[in-house]
Amino acid sequence: MNINKSNPLLLHPLNKWMKKKKWSWFPHQIETFHHVRTGSDVVVFAPTGAGKTLTGFINPIDDLIKLKKFKGLHTLYISPLKSLANDIVRNLEKPIKELDLNISFQVRTGDTTPYKKQKQKQKPPNILITTPESLALLNSYENAKEFFHNLKYIIIDEIHTFLDNKRADLLSLNIERLQTFSPNLQRIGLSATLKNKQDAKKWLCRKKPKIIFYENSVLPKIKILESKERIPWSGHMATYSINEIYKEIMKSKLTIIFVNTRAQAEYMFKNLWLINKKKLKIAVHHGSLEKNLRLKVENNLSKGLVDCVVATSSLELGLDYGDVEKIIQVGAPKGINRLLQRVGRSNHNLNTPSKAILVPTNRFEFIEAKAAIEEIKKNNLDKIDLKEGSFDVVAQHIFATACAGQFDINDLYKEIIKAYPYKKLKLNDFKQLINLIQDGGYVLKNYDQFKRIFQLRENKNIYKLVNKRETRKYRMNVGTIIENPMLKIKLGTKTLGNIEEVFVQNLSQGDSFIFAGQVLEFQLMKNNLVQVKRSKSLISKIPSYSGGRMPLSTNLANSVRALLAKSNMRDLYPEQITEWLKRQKNISKIPKKDEYLVEQFPRKKNFYTVIYTFAGWHANQTLGFLLLRGFKEFDYKPLGFVANDYAIVLWSLKEVKEIKTILNLGLLDKHLDNYLEETSIVKRLFRDNAIISCLIERRLPGMEKTGKQVLFSSDLIYTVLKKNEPDHILLKSSYEDAKKNMIDYDRLREILKKIDKKIILKKLTCISPLAVPIILEINRENLSKKETDEYILEDLENEILKEANVLSIN
Amino acid sequence: MYYQSINFGNEEFHAYPNKSLYWKRLNTLIVSDLHMGKSISYAKNKQFLPPYDTKEILNKIFVSLDKIKPSNLIIVGDLLHDVFSTLSIKDQDYKNLSQYMKNTDFIWIKGNHDKNIQIEGFKNFTNYKIGKFLFTHIPIKTSLFQICGHYHPKVKIVHRGKTIFKTSFVHNKKILILPSFGILTGGLDVHSKQISDVLGKNNLSIYPVGQDKVYKL
Repeated sequence: MNINKSNPLLLHPLNKWMKKKKWSWFPHQIETFHHVRTGSDVVVFAPTGAGKTLTGFINPIDDLIKLKKFKGLHTLYISPLKSLANDIVRNLEKPIKELDLNISFQVRTGDTTPYKKQKQKQKPPNILITTPESLALLNSYENAKEFFHNLKYIIIDEIHTFLDNKRADLLSLNIERLQTFSPNLQRIGLSATLKNKQDAKKWLCRKKPKIIFYENSVLPKIKILESKERIPWSGHMATYSINEIYKEIMKSKLTIIFVNTRAQAEYMFKNLWLINKKKLKIAVHHGSLEKNLRLKVENNLSKGLVDCVVATSSLELGLDYGDVEKIIQVGAPKGINRLLQRVGRSNHNLNTPSKAILVPTNRFEFIEAKAAIEEIKKNNLDKIDLKEGSFDVVAQHIFATACAGQFDINDLYKEIIKAYPYKKLKLNDFKQLINLIQDGGYVLKNYDQFKRIFQLRENKNIYKLVNKRETRKYRMNVGTIIENPMLKIKLGTKTLGNIEEVFVQNLSQGDSFIFAGQVLEFQLMKNNLVQVKRSKSLISKIPSYSGGRMPLSTNLANSVRALLAKSNMRDLYPEQITEWLKRQKNISKIPKKDEYLVEQFPRKKNFYTVIYTFAGWHANQTLGFLLLRGFKEFDYKPLGFVANDYAIVLWSLKEVKEIKTILNLGLLDKHLDNYLEETSIVKRLFRDNAIISCLIERRLPGMEKTGKQVLFSSDLIYTVLKKNEPDHILLKSSYEDAKKNMIDYDRLREILKKIDKKIILKKLTCISPLAVPIILEINRENLSKKETDEYILEDLENEILKEANVLSIN
Repeated sequence: MYYQSINFGNEEFHAYPNKSLYWKRLNTLIVSDLHMGKSISYAKNKQFLPPYDTKEILNKIFVSLDKIKPSNLIIVGDLLHDVFSTLSIKDQDYKNLSQYMKNTDFIWIKGNHDKNIQIEGFKNFTNYKIGKFLFTHIPIKTSLFQICGHYHPKVKIVHRGKTIFKTSFVHNKKILILPSFGILTGGLDVHSKQISDVLGKNNLSIYPVGQDKVYKL
């Protein structure tokens, strides 16, 4: 195609504005304009700074100008974050206002006032910027069809965040609904660079599918912090490097420090303040903080009023903070895509490289950081696996459909299986989901008189909502994101944010803890509020937030293995890491790229087995449980296990002799079902399923139900249901979810398929250097929360090091 | 079945892991807060809990009656969740109940949930006195020893940095509260204001109910 010769965008209404700004069109923008104009659904992959937002709006704006005074909704823009939606409005406002174009645009999210929402329904803007949840809600209104029937374009921003989760399922169903309302609707997906571009295309595009991409030729400059300190064997808090991190902050105008968990964020923030002699302006940002506090930090960040922000993934997406000079990633990168996303937060100028420094918190992470840098140089991204759609989301969608008016189940089924995640949804499962919404879908038909939706007498295929009141319940339950039970923290009358109820239950009056960067003293809990006051205590706990633990990506794991197997260690690592690995080589072995090293040694009356799988935390956790059962069968009297991203360690009373017989695919087939029964994984997922499918409500109107109570009663429901109706659709759904997400089933299966031929077994007389980090984790997990301060860890570490005879190497 | 001995009002009681209490000297079994048919009551509000609670509760009762063969069964309130709950009792359940009533006297003390409901064959009482003991749903002002229900007590246990909640029997010198015998029923902390108002804060004997054993704190 020869689009460069005659750039059709030179005639575009926005061209004048581009010229004024002295900007020129990107090739991918020209391509997008062409393909969308000729009827294609497209996905556009472009790095930050390459005018992605504008790319989505090129065709809609052109069309709207040509149509002249188009009335009603023309284009829908879906953003994954509320905050991002507001940002889009600001970006769109500039050209439209400056060119005085006759195009109306508004934002609609959970934060929009009811009054404004009502107005929007009566008089929709030409362009509406919204979130998947708000779209689902719009589709549940009776007038949804009229509202959307002239819709021309739907733009999905950051589509890579919508491929592998339940939110994606919800969105895919609602896009198909829009397509039904407006058959001519065209789809435009915008994304950061992705390895499996074809998958994103399959997920979104229907008409003349087309991938358009623009690769950035300027690679980011990423290096590992050159520390003079001793890098610890284990731990995740980077205490050792805090002074060096501080120096790095001083060197740059504006730095974002990314950490992996909220607890790390609080800890890092506290430690920086302790050494903040230059009185730098440092702030903390994470998802549990009160909205206003977060907005304040974001605002200060964009105005350049702070020197440094410590953040979790809450600052990862989208927002454009032009002045950020440097990114410091503390802790393992865990995945290439994630690291790139974070690094991309600095320096939004395409032609200059982003700058980032990685700070590994322990020795394994050093190798991981090194591997990640190598992969980024090769532009080897992680694959995002598309997931099959979850049942509970369909149930919610059925409820939503009923709220919008009576419906024919055959039409609905046909529409649902057009959505990519539900291509394989069986009619029978769909009918069970209809029953689930109708009356819980139980074999005992006890609830005939209480149905939520019912079949019309004259046409059994048509279902109708029993009464209007039910729509309110749907609207309170919409969405697929289920938070852990949280409580609000109040300092005086000011709300600081939300804290996990489980954490609060472990606090007694007078205990102090760190939140929002302040040391707080727990006073009392009343009406779901945690009342605190400021504390001067030096000893404080840090709230541990469950979840959020990202497993190491398969891609990066492979790269770590390859790197580890390289023999030119001295060129790759600093002295202390090289020494560590050399000693491992002498005492045991460093596994080759496709080998699975298993080490066994006696220690303190017990027998230890360490397996280096590099399978990621979820898969290793599962494998640990399965091996416990396997060991029991052989009467090795196992006592426990600990898993991390790289390895599993099990300890037992007796020597494990038949590891090669136990460690294979048979282990998975034999024990997986038992494992799922015994752990709380399925139970926990059942709660999510029950809430998403609207079997139980998040909150009853007029009744304060704390999250804890929901958890409690969903446990009871699970137990009763499992006993009486083990084939119930929600149990099936929870089980599938468990297999898909929590246990990394496929990944584990792949490893176990080939592991038996690749095991390298090393019988040792004592612990090996490579095993020290994971052995240290045993001790940490067994400590009570109060004692987990770093210096205790250090003490422990020294003890174990002595035992391993490796004190001499630093 | 393992039981935990509870000395209350100078009498020996046995607390069972199925949340029933047995008074050996008088061969009397005591249960509380069954809330049968809670699922139907919720279904009325379109919350479709599994409709198996009544069946399971009755089974639990029948198993106990078979094993212990008590002369009396005292239900200290809230046998049913509400008026709709009777819908969950099937014909076969009624037949089974009347069989058991031949050998055991069923004494149903009305609770706040079931005060206006009648079931064939059940004798109703607002409270019931045996010697120096009074059986009542909610404690009243009296010098008698009281055995009651209503509060669904549970206890919070913090140990080694972990927090768990366990349904419990709890008593002070004069009042004993049974845990809920129901399947889909929640609980109230023994140190909550509501229970403290009745039992006070100190000198409580608490008996958390485990899987196969009742513990003593």
